[in-house]
Formats: sequence, structure tokens, C-alpha cells
Amino acid sequence: MPDHEAAPADAFGAREPERVSKDGLPASDEGLSQDLRGPDAADLAAAGLAMARRFAAAATLWCAAPSWPWHAEHAAGEFAEPVEPSKPGLPAVTVPDGPLAESLRPLARSGDMLLVISRRDEPSLAGLRQRAKAWGVLTVWIGAGPRPEPGSADYVLWVDGDETTASYGGRLALVTHVLLGLTRTCLGHPHLLAPEAAACTEEVCITCSDEGRLGEVVTLGADRCAQVRTPDGLEAVDTTLIEGAGPGDLVLIHAGLAVAVVEVSPR
Amino acid sequence: MRKEDSGVSRRALEAGEEELRALLSDLVEKARGEAEQADRLCRSSFEALRDELERAGRAIAQRLRAGGRLYSFGGGESSINAAGIAALFARSQEGTSLAARSLACDRAPGSAPGNEPSSGRQLAVFARAGDIAMGYSTGGDRDDVIATLAKAWRRGLLTVGFTDWRDDRMTTCGMLDHCLVVASHDPHRIEEVEAALSHRLWASVQQLLEDDGDRQVTGRRQPATGQELLVAEEAP
Repeated sequence: MPDHEAAPADAFGAREPERVSKDGLPASDEGLSQDLRGPDAADLAAAGLAMARRFAAAATLWCAAPSWPWHAEHAAGEFAEPVEPSKPGLPAVTVPDGPLAESLRPLARSGDMLLVISRRDEPSLAGLRQRAKAWGVLTVWIGAGPRPEPGSADYVLWVDGDETTASYGGRLALVTHVLLGLTRTCLGHPHLLAPEAAACTEEVCITCSDEGRLGEVVTLGADRCAQVRTPDGLEAVDTTLIEGAGPGDLVLIHAGLAVAVVEVSPR
Repeated sequence: MRKEDSGVSRRALEAGEEELRALLSDLVEKARGEAEQADRLCRSSFEALRDELERAGRAIAQRLRAGGRLYSFGGGESSINAAGIAALFARSQEGTSLAARSLACDRAPGSAPGNEPSSGRQLAVFARAGDIAMGYSTGGDRDDVIATLAKAWRRGLLTVGFTDWRDDRMTTCGMLDHCLVVASHDPHRIEEVEAALSHRLWASVQQLLEDDGDRQVTGRRQPATGQELLVAEEAP
């Protein structure tokens, strides 16, 4: 059963409603004044494990909440809080103000994480998941209200129900607290935190050879050779095949060649 | 030799997978447990504080109606709730946008206490009699929150305090018009329930102001009973 390990958010939308209600965090009734449910406890567990693995590999957690800045401060503060006064907390900070991608681009290193707390329709999140992927940054999205498209982040931890009640009434804080608790629990088992095994077991590697990889164009040279940012660092990529790509564009790289410009999804 | 090696590593791998599965199912249990705990505390708090919430909601609505402003503040983690409640009162997406502002409290980890902007100093600059002071004392420096509430009380502000079981200084200070006590020692649970209580306060204030609006419309349509406008405040 390898699939319960780090279940990708892409599978989220395929889940039947019964399953969500059965496995979800219990519905709060009178307490939080409206019917708020979720996120799925198994998704929380998978996200906690993935985050612990990244922390164990010296990642920084970047927190952003474009419309609710205090949620980002809350998350960063909670993760950064030392468990014991003598020990340092986890490296968690808020993304500086400004357009999210622009603020994060120079700061994020490959292997880092981005925790976004927001509603679905947040203009500054457009294409951020793909960009983060090109930078090698894991994305975790906590939110409430109408659900985002499946696959909008590596981990989507969603509260179904009224967005205002969830955001201002403590439900999103609860999700953050639970996620922190699970991450800390995982960090107590360092021998289980080796980076996820690479899928390169066959002669041809499906993750790096047969498929294109995402990269972000940094500069374009005169000879159509571009500097492209990928999770492995800056790479020189030939852009002869694609017309009109410029700095900031996401491209698909295959064997040192940019084969396509990737349309950034609206959200 | 090679074969044995791979046998050993396979067994190690299987043992690791087993352990990982156990860890993940622990995590699922833990997540559910925490959520259940949060919901239980929320339910019991709403039950225990129903009357106090209603009184506080009426008093806040009355002050806002009369042109008062709401100032919220808190230490450490609870400055987050202070920021949230001010944003909720001030937002205009739904209901009426109301005069509310959170007093900045720096909660950057590692910042020296001496450098933190004091909510008391800010309150002294902004607040007038007739305003509302809402203090959250869950995290950080409780003394600062209590001192600010005391200052507010002396200046004639309506004082609303959130506190918990870890400390009874707020309940005994005698300077709170309304005190909402969350019966817990767990900072995370307290923080969540305080947010839920704050949200409920906002909802009841919105409801009261909406009822006002309805009554005022009625009053205007029937000038003969215009007096209604004057008594609307405490009408059932």
C-alpha cells in the first residue's frame, strides 16, 4: 500500500463525499456556529509527514495569507515556537508583503515549503503551484469555502462550510494547530524521515528522462540559450524550439531543450 | 552475498514501511482527537457563556451605535485573535462595516520585550470614553493586557476580556465589564475557542444593528410612532 504515503492532493477531488464525511475531522455544530467539516484526517497526516521530511532536510517554511495576514503570522509563529525553551523552533517565517510570487522568488530555496492560508479565489495565487514546483518548493494550502481545483497544491487541507466562520471563528487556526502537532510528532521519528524514495528504479527514469520538467526562465541569451531555474538549480536550456518565451515564463524542459511554454493556470 | 544483502535491505525496508504505516495511523487518530477536543470545549464554552456573550454583544452594539470604536489587543499568540476580530468587525463584505482597530503587538519570535509596542501606550493615544477595549490574554505578556484593560476601564471604555483557567487575575481584577473565561489549560484550544466566541460576538452585534435598521425604517414610514426611534435601543 504505498499510496497512503504522501497521498497527492490531485486525488482529493476524486474522493467520494461519504469518505470525506467519514474520515474528516468531526463536523462542528453549535460550537463553531455553523456546519464546518474537514479537512480529511488522512490528508493532514500525509501533509504533516511531508513537512517533517522537508524540515529534517533543513527546509524553511514560508507562510502567506494574502487576505488574512494574521493567519500567516500565526502559522509562522506557531511553527517557530520552540517546544522546549532551550531548543530552537522550526525555521518558519512569513513571506514579505507584496505580490506573492515576486516576494517569494528570491527567498525560496529548492526543498523549501510554502504554506498558504486563503480562500479559493485569491488572485495572487495564480500559477503559484506550478512556479513553486519549478523552484522545488512544496505547497500546502489551508482554506475554507468553495474548494479549489484538484491539484492546486501538493497538499490541500480544506474546510467545507462558510468561509467567514472558518477563517474568523477559529477553524483555520485549528487546522494549523493540528498540522503543527502532526509535523512535530513525525519529527520525533527521524529514522522515518529520509527523503521520499526516488522513482528511478527502472533503467529509464520516469521523473527525469522521459517526461518534461518544469523550469522558470531567468534570463534569455542572444544565442537562444536560456538560464532556467529548476529544483536542481540554474540550468542552461536551449530555447530554439519555443517562440516568444521570456524571463518569468514557465517552460517544460526535456534533455536540455525547452519543448513548450507552460500556460500558467488562472488559479 | 549480493542476494543476502538485498534480502536484508528488503526486510529493513519492509520494517520501515510497517513503522511508517503505524505512524500515519497514529497521526490520523491524533488529528481526530484534537478536533474532537476543540469541538467539545467550544460547545461547553458556548453553553457556559451564553448569557455573558449576549450581554457583551448588546453592550458592544450600544457603544458602536453611539459612535464608539472598538480596540482589540492581546499578547503573544492571542494578538492573532485581536487582529482577526478587528478585521472581522471592520470588513464590509457582509453586514455593516464597523469602527474597529487592533493595536499592534509585535509577536516576532525572539524580539526583545522592551521593543514591543505597548498596547497601553497606543490606547492612551487613540481611545476616548465611550469606546470599547477588547483584550485577549492567552499568550505572551498577560500583565500588559491586564494593565491596558485597567487603563481602558479608568478612561470610561467598555472593557471585554478573554481569559482562561491558567490565571484568574482577569476575573478578579474588578475592572472588566464582561469577562469570557474559556475553561481550559491548553493554549491552542483556548485560542481556537476565543476566536469562535469573538466570531459569535460579531454575529450578534451585526444582528442587533440589523434589527435597528429594520426598526428605523418602520419609524420613518410611520412618523406618528417616531418615538420608537428613541426607545429602540432596549426594545425587546
